[in-house]
Amino acid sequence: MKKFALALSVIALSSTAVSAGGHLTGNDAVDTRKALMQAVGAAAGAAGGMMKGEIDYNPAVANAAIAAMRGAAYSFGAFFPEGTDSVKGTTASAKIWEDADGFAAAAAKFKADIDAASAAAGKDGPADLDAFKAAIGPVFANCKSCHEGYRVKN
Amino acid sequence: MIKKLALLVVFLAILGGLFFWWLTSPAYLAPSEIASLPDGDAVAGERIFHAGGCAACHAVPKSEGDKRFELPGGVELATPFGTFVAPNISQHQTDGIGGWTLADFANAMLKGISPGGDHYYPAFPYTSYARMSGQDIADLYAFLKTTPSIAGAAPGHKLGFPFNIRRGLGLWKLVNLSGEPVIALQGDTSEQVQIGRYLVEGPGHCGECHSPRDFGGAILTDQWLAGAVAAEGEGIVPNITAGEGGIGGWSETDIAYYLETGFTPEFDSVGGAMVEVQRNMAALSAEDRAAIASYLKAVPERPNGYPAKR
Repeated sequence: MKKFALALSVIALSSTAVSAGGHLTGNDAVDTRKALMQAVGAAAGAAGGMMKGEIDYNPAVANAAIAAMRGAAYSFGAFFPEGTDSVKGTTASAKIWEDADGFAAAAAKFKADIDAASAAAGKDGPADLDAFKAAIGPVFANCKSCHEGYRVKN
Repeated sequence: MIKKLALLVVFLAILGGLFFWWLTSPAYLAPSEIASLPDGDAVAGERIFHAGGCAACHAVPKSEGDKRFELPGGVELATPFGTFVAPNISQHQTDGIGGWTLADFANAMLKGISPGGDHYYPAFPYTSYARMSGQDIADLYAFLKTTPSIAGAAPGHKLGFPFNIRRGLGLWKLVNLSGEPVIALQGDTSEQVQIGRYLVEGPGHCGECHSPRDFGGAILTDQWLAGAVAAEGEGIVPNITAGEGGIGGWSETDIAYYLETGFTPEFDSVGGAMVEVQRNMAALSAEDRAAIASYLKAVPERPNGYPAKR
């Protein structure tokens, strides 16, 4: 369990480090945003595992998951330079650029929701599973709403 | 001689025209089938409303709560055949279907025929709904009666030649419309799998997007649920059989959890048009989601029904 928490913290740290990289282009931008989304996915996996009861609840893991998502929420929006919907391997929809304001609003909402979760979690993480569910629930809704319009399976 | 030949050609052309007219005439439900439709139960019909995904095309996109029962239509489906616009199916007497009888509704759902005797385009998935029971049709009709009347007809479809000739759909339906199940199940199949088959192949109309089609728009049933290039929008619709590229690694619990919450076993989230579908699946009972999952584990394994990644 501790190893898992440690792995998550590393993900969280690496996402913040990447965000300092700034405006990359082409393949680098795609690779970066994919790594950031994978960090979110892994964090959601740990959070979901606890919510499903497959992993015992642990406030440190909960905090690591929230922090990893927060790091990505603060940074990933910077890695969608125009034209990168056609880069091989991306699942970004052209709508990200056609509806730039909508995408920016979705990214801002993700950031606001994870900020609220982080504030609710506090320094030591949510005290119990119910507190964690209450904090992370609104954040999870962002995955679907953003992937509905701005991601393409291919 | 030439005169006689010309007469013969004209005669044959008229005969051919009549033959086409006869072939493409609407095939209504038999009067006995209409008479045997039971009384509907609106409460039971709400389940069918969600299972059938009616709101996905007929409600205003991203509607929440009771707004999902407001059905003015207007959603556009841009396909290779042209752009289809979902009609108003609210209870408005003239703009919607408020004036329809149960017989009108059953002919629309099971035979793809309008009250005026026109063929519907299969963008309205009656090819799947044709597998629904009379009880569910009656229940859904009763439920729709409880939804509001909304004024305003949706605009018409935008289709080019030859797809703008509705009459031609009569031929298409002769080949593609059948109420028979797609996947034959053994006699000893559990009731759960049978319910799942009914939900997936009938009201759920999953195969309409998850199965590849030929150039004429016919579903390739030997690649049932193997995934397909999206007929509408961008990208692909995934393979949901256990074949290569599919969901063989998912347990029945994983599938049911995905339908309930929108999260895959890897905690990737549902996306694209499936977000709306999953919202409807989440409104079903846990038993219905489990039934869908058990059927999906029972369908034949197929490799991806779409070309490899670009």
